[in-house]
Amino acid sequence: MELEALQEVDSEVRKLGARILSISPQLEKYARNVHRKLHLTFDILTDFHLKTAEQFGIVFVLPDYLRELYTSFGNRLDIFHDESEYRLPMSARYIIDSSSIIRAADVNADYTIRPEPSDTVSLLRALRASDATSHEARS
Amino acid sequence: MSRLRNRLEEFKTTFESGDPPYNATREVVATMHRATAELKASGIENAALKVGDRAPDFSLFNQDHVRVVSTELLREGPLVVSFFRGHW
Repeated sequence: MELEALQEVDSEVRKLGARILSISPQLEKYARNVHRKLHLTFDILTDFHLKTAEQFGIVFVLPDYLRELYTSFGNRLDIFHDESEYRLPMSARYIIDSSSIIRAADVNADYTIRPEPSDTVSLLRALRASDATSHEARS
Repeated sequence: MSRLRNRLEEFKTTFESGDPPYNATREVVATMHRATAELKASGIENAALKVGDRAPDFSLFNQDHVRVVSTELLREGPLVVSFFRGHW
């Protein structure tokens, strides 16, 4: 749902000079399938063995009882991620400015809670406006 | 365009009702609730990078096996980075 909702604002985000990147630990072949199925115009990146998610501090290990439940549903994370640990990233959406500073961070342990894409667009618009002002102040 | 929040709530209601297409049993729903509550209680959310922190650079392959380098894109403008668990 997150991907579909972000797709709806992708052109607006690009008009503001920004880019969307989605990142998940699933292997490239699974990313490719989703990308085609949802006709996405932004990239899905494979965070192999959750190295990048770890650096953002959002990785957790599934407890055994949840791992069993996932496996019973056919959600074989060991196959999807090519590792046996059954780790996942928390749902998170970040806005990173061109100086690599995080300007918005929405991280939630409850995967059914996500920020609105329209709020992300508003923040990008405000960021662009404040950057334009600071450029004027310098010149 | 309906709001993402509404769509997520709709999913949650359907899932927790036990209706198709998920047909989730009460045990499954309880297990999912327990897992989310425990994760929240672990304090992991506070350990995540926050506003004002420097974002790590990354270099990852996209769905077409093209390498995407964050520092290269950041030269062009801001990035919206969405972490998701996967689409299974």
